[in-house]
Amino acid sequence: MNARSAAETLRSAGLLAVCLSGGLFALALVILLVGASPLSVAAALWQGAFGSPYNAADTLVQTVPLLLTGLAVALSFRCQLFNIGAEGQLLVGAMAATWAGTSPLPAPLLLPMALLAGAGAGALWSGIAGLLRLYRGVQEVLSSLLLNFVAIQMLAWMVRGPLQEAEKAFPQSDPLLIPARLSLLIPGTRLHSGAVLALLLAVVVWAYLRWTVGGFALRVVGAGPAAAEAAGIPVRRTMIETFLLSGALSGLAGAIQVTGVLYRLSEGFSPGYGYTAIAVALIANLSPLSVIPSALFFGALTTGGPAVQQSIPGVSSVVVQVLQAVALFSLLAYARVRERQSQTAGGVR
Amino acid sequence: MHPTPSVQTPPSVPLLAAEQIVKRFGAFVALDHVDFEIRSGEIHALLGENGAGKSTLMNILSGLLRPTEGRILLDGTAVRFSSPSDAERAGIGMVHQHFLLVPTLTVRENLLLSAERSFGGPLSYPLQRTVEQARAVADRLGWNIPWDSLAGRLPVGTQQRIEILKALRGETRLLIFDEPTAVLTPTETPELFDTIRRLAEEGRGIVFISHKLNEVRDLAGRVTVLRRGKVVFRTTTDATDATGLARAMVGEDSEAALLLNASPPDSSGRRTTTGEAPRLSVDLSLGPELGQHRNRLTEIRFDVAAGEIFGIAGVDGNGQGELADCLSGLQRPDRGAVLLDGVSLPVAPAAFRRNGIAIIPADRQRRGLALPMSITENVALGAYDKAEYRRGPILLWPALTRRAAGLIARFDIRASGPDALTRSLSGGNQQKVVIARALADTPRAVIAVNPTRGLDVGAIAFVYDALRRARDEGAAIVLISTELEEILTLADRVAVLYEGRITGIVPPTTSRETFGLLMGGQGVAG
Repeated sequence: MNARSAAETLRSAGLLAVCLSGGLFALALVILLVGASPLSVAAALWQGAFGSPYNAADTLVQTVPLLLTGLAVALSFRCQLFNIGAEGQLLVGAMAATWAGTSPLPAPLLLPMALLAGAGAGALWSGIAGLLRLYRGVQEVLSSLLLNFVAIQMLAWMVRGPLQEAEKAFPQSDPLLIPARLSLLIPGTRLHSGAVLALLLAVVVWAYLRWTVGGFALRVVGAGPAAAEAAGIPVRRTMIETFLLSGALSGLAGAIQVTGVLYRLSEGFSPGYGYTAIAVALIANLSPLSVIPSALFFGALTTGGPAVQQSIPGVSSVVVQVLQAVALFSLLAYARVRERQSQTAGGVR
Repeated sequence: MHPTPSVQTPPSVPLLAAEQIVKRFGAFVALDHVDFEIRSGEIHALLGENGAGKSTLMNILSGLLRPTEGRILLDGTAVRFSSPSDAERAGIGMVHQHFLLVPTLTVRENLLLSAERSFGGPLSYPLQRTVEQARAVADRLGWNIPWDSLAGRLPVGTQQRIEILKALRGETRLLIFDEPTAVLTPTETPELFDTIRRLAEEGRGIVFISHKLNEVRDLAGRVTVLRRGKVVFRTTTDATDATGLARAMVGEDSEAALLLNASPPDSSGRRTTTGEAPRLSVDLSLGPELGQHRNRLTEIRFDVAAGEIFGIAGVDGNGQGELADCLSGLQRPDRGAVLLDGVSLPVAPAAFRRNGIAIIPADRQRRGLALPMSITENVALGAYDKAEYRRGPILLWPALTRRAAGLIARFDIRASGPDALTRSLSGGNQQKVVIARALADTPRAVIAVNPTRGLDVGAIAFVYDALRRARDEGAAIVLISTELEEILTLADRVAVLYEGRITGIVPPTTSRETFGLLMGGQGVAG
């Protein structure tokens, strides 16, 4: 990195800080309007998210599915494929993992097979949207979103039908046996080894995009499909691969929730991880390594929100959603300013 | 039924006159003191090459552009159009080359979209009156229009009739046809001509824009020829023949050639000796595709030797794009193939590239470059699958960056470094990136399509130099260009493309008249 690009990086970081503090200032005004102190809200939020080892571990547990689905969204958006079906792919991944994890496989195989089944099912679910796009011209924005609703209904049926517990009492599956579960990293907390796997995958996805032929093809197809085709890059194959990889990451997120956190399948276990993932990926500017802090930020808000509501009268946990929106808008403003700058820079020539 | 809309002006006063029109775009002069007039009842042809200024002039007359200098007289009175609707109210209609119909709406609804505001009240759609008016015109012209069909499902000729109906209102006195035959089939063209003659007989003034010489001679009375923004020739079709028109259109001089020719045009001609096998051998045909705007290519046959530049001239839209796609492996011809050193290649851009056919595509911002990516990444597109730049699935970016830095120096690309985004480069430097990628590894053949479009003189000279050097290193070069000057400056032999057919293969020393005739579809033996 030469001096010029270092200065450029510094300048854009400064701009980002200005945009974010502008957003936070607006948020502080909102909090003042309801008669609370912005600082005490911030303190409560921090306390809830990182105040104790248990809280911090819980924040990380919330971060894992956001990180994986965020990577999935970033990967497909980088190829200009707007797969917004991470939620559905996560759900089918959870179902497949439950099926494999409760199957009569030899014990050492249970966990790996559960994770693989989850990734595979997510890939297939996303692959449906991919095939529809390539062979019927259906926009993946629509098909992947609609497949989310199919997955929700399928989950409702699974926990009452094929995957329901042996006693048939509640709409849930049998619990996974110990060998089918992810190990805990820190005893006394809920932090599981899936967090390490997710972190590792963020680096793998980064390296894939940066260093491999396949990742290069993916980025070129996203940056200029006509140029990619003219250069002999197999555009359609690249697109299908991207759909499959993206779906596999989301499916794995579902499998990790089942094998690492829930230990059994039930309805409504995802509070919309796959949708939040879109914001996670966009705030990370679709860069795999930036998805890590971005997912952590959203994970912290998820665990910190209820603490705000409990400790400060008059402020509901909705403030967390406002905070999310503020962060997103600040970054959009930042992106817009950057774009304008690069346009005028290009105009000088 | 309907009275003919004729506010006959005395013959001495033209219906519309443009006087001393100048139009500048920045430093570029698109129109240079142009005079142009149309009388009632006449068909006046406007002839010229691509970029001669025809469209600019018509856009000024129809209110889309405002002239930098000069004035427009309507019936002898100065008028000023600030929008197309001003021109419409003054009775000027335009039938565009590319139809402006909404394909998913019916014919009625499309007519309604351009209905006169004066029809109907503020809350009512003037559907009834609009269609009645159009129906009256259609009846008069003997047209049978399916009013309730979706516009997009109709044959092209019928769609054009709807465009004409849209342009024709009760008081339309001047109709501009912008290359109306470009989209028509051979059977539809005479029908259109009948219509145009009828409209002129009814007392309207018609401007007919074309570069097809036989059509102009068929239809028009007077002809005005534009070249590089100036009127170079004014005549009547009785007083001239196709040769005279062709000479006026293409010009005698070659300012560009004088300007750019560091080395004089090659007199060596074709650099093969008889008996030598051609490097590139093309023999193919391509049919039109239903529902798509694709030109037909008929019996395209030519050979290019190693060390030869083979120019393909012609007016834009005569099959250049389709031919370029076939030559770069993007389009499979219906018949025939492209042979490289006698071997037929699999139809795929990657296979063409790996076998040493380099492409300089026409649209550098779309097909040539992935604009949001760096110079390194863009030139890597030409080499990423070479063994020396990868280890298994891993790309060796340090090596690719070094290669890019070398190409930046070799092709004099002005950029902050290999990591500069191609979006941030000037047009000339963007084209240098495309050319650097194509010519990096001494290709066996080069397909260059309009390689200097939109570039300034310095960049053009650079491109010419690079192509000449590639030829001297033994590449067979196909230069497809709509700039005749460019082809005459560079090529050793020239083929002329007209409506997907080669009308002749001639040496570049051939007279301008002959080129004009070939480009206008007048076949010349030989």
